[in-house]
Amino acid sequence: MSDEEDMVGYKQQPGKLPFSRPGSGGKDQFSDLQDENMIPESQGGKQSQPWGTHRHDELITSSSIGHRTPLIDARYKVTGQAQYGDDIRLNNELIGKILRSPHHFARIKSIDTSAAEALEGVIAIATGSDASNSFGVLPVTKDEHALAVSLVRHVGDLVAAVAAEDEATALQAVQLIEVEYEILDSIHDMKDGLEDSENPIHDRGKYHIGEANIQKRVFQEFGEVDKMIENANASHHSNWTFRGVNHGFTEPHATVANWDPRGRLTIYTPQQVPHYLHRSLADVLEIPMHQINVYRTFVGGGFGGKSDPFPHEMCAAILSRKSGRPVRITFDREEVFLTNRGRHPSHIEMNLHADSQGRLCGVETDALIDGGAFASFGHVTTYYNGVLHTAPYEIGAFHYTGARVWTNKPASGAMRGHGAVNSRCAFEVGLDDLSDKLQVDPMTFRLANLLPPLSATITGFRITSTGMRECLEKVRKASSWDERFRQLPLGHGIGVGCGFFISGSGLPIHWDPNKFPHATVHLKIDMDGGVTIHTGAAEIGQGSDTVVSQSVAEVLGLPLDMIRVRSKETDTAPVDLGSYSSRVTFMNANAAISAAMKIRQELIDATANITGADPKKIVLGDRRIYDKRNPAVGVSYLEALHKAQEDRGALVASGAYRTPPMGKAHKGAAAGLAPAYSFSAYVAEVKVDVETGQTSVINVWAAHDCGKALNPLAVEGQIIGSCHMGLGQVLSEEMVYGRTGHLLNGNLLDYKIPTVHEMPKVFPIIVESNDPEGPFGAKEAGEGPLLPILPAVCNAVYDAIGVRVDELPITPDRMHRSIEKLCRSQGVTDPLELKTPTLKLSPLQESLANRADEHEKRDIARRNNDDIEPYHNGALFGFTATLPPEEQSDDWKVSVMPSQEYIDNPRLAGTAWKHIERRHRGDDT
Amino acid sequence: MLPQAGKLEWTASVNEKKVTESISSDSILLDVLRDQIGTLGVKRGCDMGTCGCCAVLVNGQPRLSCLTLTSEVEGCEITTVEGIADGHHLSPIQETFTTYGGSQCGFCSPGFLIVITALLEENDNPSETEIKNAIDGNLCRCTGYQPIVESVQAAAEILRSGKATSNPTSPHSDPHPGFMGDDT
Amino acid sequence: MRMPPFELLMPTSLEQALTLAGDFIAAGEEFDWIAGGTDLIPNYKWHLNSKAHVISLAKVAEMSELSSTHIGGMVRLHDLAESNITHPLLKEAAGSIASVMIRRSGTVGGNICLDTRCYWFNQTEDWRESIEWCHKCECGTDADCRVIANQNTLCVATYQADLAPAFLCLNATIHLASSKGKREMLLSDFFELDGMTRNVLQPGELVTHITLPSESSELTGCYHKLTLRDSWDFPEAGIAAAWKLSGEQISTLKIASTGLESIPRVHDDEVAAVLPDWSGKESIESLSEALRKSIKPVNNTGLKPNYRRKMVKVLARRCLNQILHK
Repeated sequence: MSDEEDMVGYKQQPGKLPFSRPGSGGKDQFSDLQDENMIPESQGGKQSQPWGTHRHDELITSSSIGHRTPLIDARYKVTGQAQYGDDIRLNNELIGKILRSPHHFARIKSIDTSAAEALEGVIAIATGSDASNSFGVLPVTKDEHALAVSLVRHVGDLVAAVAAEDEATALQAVQLIEVEYEILDSIHDMKDGLEDSENPIHDRGKYHIGEANIQKRVFQEFGEVDKMIENANASHHSNWTFRGVNHGFTEPHATVANWDPRGRLTIYTPQQVPHYLHRSLADVLEIPMHQINVYRTFVGGGFGGKSDPFPHEMCAAILSRKSGRPVRITFDREEVFLTNRGRHPSHIEMNLHADSQGRLCGVETDALIDGGAFASFGHVTTYYNGVLHTAPYEIGAFHYTGARVWTNKPASGAMRGHGAVNSRCAFEVGLDDLSDKLQVDPMTFRLANLLPPLSATITGFRITSTGMRECLEKVRKASSWDERFRQLPLGHGIGVGCGFFISGSGLPIHWDPNKFPHATVHLKIDMDGGVTIHTGAAEIGQGSDTVVSQSVAEVLGLPLDMIRVRSKETDTAPVDLGSYSSRVTFMNANAAISAAMKIRQELIDATANITGADPKKIVLGDRRIYDKRNPAVGVSYLEALHKAQEDRGALVASGAYRTPPMGKAHKGAAAGLAPAYSFSAYVAEVKVDVETGQTSVINVWAAHDCGKALNPLAVEGQIIGSCHMGLGQVLSEEMVYGRTGHLLNGNLLDYKIPTVHEMPKVFPIIVESNDPEGPFGAKEAGEGPLLPILPAVCNAVYDAIGVRVDELPITPDRMHRSIEKLCRSQGVTDPLELKTPTLKLSPLQESLANRADEHEKRDIARRNNDDIEPYHNGALFGFTATLPPEEQSDDWKVSVMPSQEYIDNPRLAGTAWKHIERRHRGDDT
Repeated sequence: MLPQAGKLEWTASVNEKKVTESISSDSILLDVLRDQIGTLGVKRGCDMGTCGCCAVLVNGQPRLSCLTLTSEVEGCEITTVEGIADGHHLSPIQETFTTYGGSQCGFCSPGFLIVITALLEENDNPSETEIKNAIDGNLCRCTGYQPIVESVQAAAEILRSGKATSNPTSPHSDPHPGFMGDDT
Repeated sequence: MRMPPFELLMPTSLEQALTLAGDFIAAGEEFDWIAGGTDLIPNYKWHLNSKAHVISLAKVAEMSELSSTHIGGMVRLHDLAESNITHPLLKEAAGSIASVMIRRSGTVGGNICLDTRCYWFNQTEDWRESIEWCHKCECGTDADCRVIANQNTLCVATYQADLAPAFLCLNATIHLASSKGKREMLLSDFFELDGMTRNVLQPGELVTHITLPSESSELTGCYHKLTLRDSWDFPEAGIAAAWKLSGEQISTLKIASTGLESIPRVHDDEVAAVLPDWSGKESIESLSEALRKSIKPVNNTGLKPNYRRKMVKVLARRCLNQILHK
């Protein structure tokens, strides 16, 4: 064996791997070369970098990042071996069932569980008195209980829970619980929530706003608010109605709680945010967090709907504690709808103003959102409805009033595109209308008003990278926009819409005086060479386990099959804030990279030690570490690893990510603040049956700037999936409440999620703007791609038949009514004779096109220059770009309190400000 | 306890294994598969016949197990998602579901895979329309269906080529490449 | 979801099934037939009018007979839709029902006998209890109708089966049997206006099969329905038409509707009013308008009733325009 000659001076020990001579690099002196096409130019590779270099360039080994990578857990899912909530079956389990309120709003006078307790097979019963501590996902609004303590606040609110030997017994026991209620007046119309009430749904004590059902109100004014009307050359006014929509994940909630013999609780649950459940369980059960292990099962779809800590999870824990046995609670589909946390029903008034130069000189938004019975994420949602449409365009003034009210419905919460979807739709449709009024092409109008890279929005958000312009240009070309817009026959149209979304939240939900990181990743590598990743990032099907594996694999030059992830249990995972606000790839992969960099350095040092090469010149290749100038000088990965492990054993490393300080200082400035933002532009092509009002979407060209597609397969999956979900909201999905206030369609037959036949052909287009802060340049791709589909479809409908939609979903009956109205206004009886909108360009078009060209040059210069000057929103309006306009002019407002003048004449949500908080009222209540 | 329907002995073949269970005459196949036989790959999404997550093959034909009375399939050959792979070799559609992104959260996958298995059994070159018609009783909330349709087309191609799918138990990557035999 | 417990019986012949049924009736016990289960089981899961006994027809082989003029009650909708000997109109209607998975289980008899639907009725037990029920569900509360307040004599739940209008246009005859004997009637005589009783079936009686007159093969037809989605949804309106041309003249024309009222209907009167002076486009317009006028949907399905009514005209026109295109 010729290898033996290579092993001179390297005596084999029993049990030790027979490494070849140091410096030889194993049997193959030159192991597989890197894929030059995946190595950036800055590192001597062939991958061009039109967007400049990145701080992670030198970590690129071409092993994983940018490859279409099947999810590493996919084989479990396709073989039926993935265990979701209800698949956790522990020995000796009990089945838990919940008694729910039949009333919208009532006071519980008494609960008699004696008959239920007497039933054979009933082991434990819990009521509100078993756990009086409140909880909630946001520390500022903890307004939920495991079980109703005195009030039930919506039909389906939790009243009591039973654990029994089997489901039938548990169900019967639930029926045997006698509850006496005092029924209270309930409210269902969100507008009523703005008024004083005899019995507000919650009591916020001294922070209560008047005696009303206002959970949160926001007032914000930035820029030249007082001048926007006089500056306006064209204005858009609309009043939108958005219905509530539900996440519609296929897996109903299910949870298993078990207190082990040591008295520690393990809760198995499909959670997007195990950490906040962990905290809430500790609060409710009054035990320290270290006594609890939150075990995240496979999650059968989340979309925001599994990101609150839930009462039923508390119930399972309480019942299990009482009974001494594992308790499994699984919801039926109606219970899923009664738990909800879906997108808020909303009334949004959108007013946009453009000046004579085609600049967006004013945005006025008023959003009243229906929170249902609990706060959930609502505090944040109220802000997001405003601040998340202050980009990607440069604007001269922004006025926002928002209010979230309680009503006696299942709670609204966070859903994919949290808080941004509805107002974005109204905003982008408004832009389309403004373009019409200015007689310019809506593409050009957008392109001439974009914020550049490395700029600040009017609200002070820090934009790092932006590929907005490229997204627009690409869909324009792909859809043959210039040949088709306003040129298609009646009933056939195309429309454009854009999106902008946070890539992680700048501040964690639980404010962190101790400066905890947002994400932490631990790595462990032992003798076998396989890498174990410990992360708390919640894999919910989006591919977080895969992307964190890819990140580690990339840095260490390893194939993916050498990486294994332990992300399920809080006992073994470092704290991670969970899968919401599109934060996982950005934050977790950044943490993983920083951990992997430490291991990488140790491997390089070990290689240098063995080979004597200069560590600065050593690079990692495919399982081989070598001198970049002389690849023959190097060692195998395992050899370097074993060297590094001498005298200490397994390599371990920890990496963390925390957002940098950013943003302005006004109240609410942190809401919407993110370390990076994604951008997207879609063109939708629709057909409208003018006789029936049925709308079908045929094609969608969907460009999304995710910074860098770490896993293009997953990014495309997110884009297409987002189109599907957004399409549901725009065409067919709504939670319908009847005249009695009851949810009429809490099932998957009547809640109309699009089927395969409604799905258009989606052409995903990935734009990579190489974000300086993102891992390898990446930003989010999970939520932002949902935003543009709604307005793109609405604008295409206008192109097709001239109907300006202001109510979603565009069900055929609503559309038909609009068509009839349009027929009357055009004086035709047959809708087939309707005239479609035409485009007659004004002289402004050319100046906008020229401005767009100039801005394109500006943007390219900015993104390729490391040493650029600041750019603040306002420069387009003549201010010096390098300073915030409020430092240049007294006319430029930054205000978060309404004037008396406004309060005297408010918009709808703005009426929330007519109330005075109790603590400021000067009375004793 | 509630009054219960009478128990009877029930025999069928589940994933080519003969099973005998004591069932109540009013029991639903989905419940028996999940709670008694333990084929937890069969999923309960809506329990009302809409979502298709609970699909199984009964004598080769896809059926919604949530709407099937167990007694009615006495003596039948029942196949769940656990029964469509050949040992460690995934069936082509299982494999392409992973490589084409047909599965995201994966909860609907068992139902889709069952329905598609039956489709490909009948037709190894289905058109896009035939694929859509075959899966229109299954709900997916993650993928927008497009990657699923592509997975089917790719699986059909594998079937027609007669190629075997990979065996994941073959040696994984060698951390000391080139030394321990073939470099994977 | 757990159904209320019931005892399932599985006869292997029609005779056995009818005897079992006869015994229940004689003993004063209630029971339900179950064919495909796609209607009954969801209703049972929601505790809607469940019975202590259920007789399954799954093993009654003789009810699965299918020819071009004889369609057994237990023929699966999928088989009807896929068969090459099915009348094209039936094939079209059958292929449009719900989803492919529902069609694999659902049967012809079950579809014809589909329970009427209403969003105050098709809800869970907890839900109905919290609105104090509606009178379609036997709950002993003397509740009124929730759609039309203060009336409890008639149920206005909507009949939403797709096969009925197709069969009606083809002049189908329905064959019933019970332990007391067999009877047959034109399908148009089978349905009853009340959304609770729905049809003329007596306790213990079932639909064995449906036959088509041999001359039905000479009829051309089409079916247009209104749904929000192309799968799963029940029709919010459905119009079928069948016709026979003699040269340029229409010698036969039948139109039937579903998904709009408590009963599917044949619209012979409206047809008779225009057929003698048939003038193509104008006649189509006036006939479509007459159909719209004759149909009065109520507010108990997903789409608004005034809209559904207007769509009757559009769907009818689209069906009838096919005549011109032949």
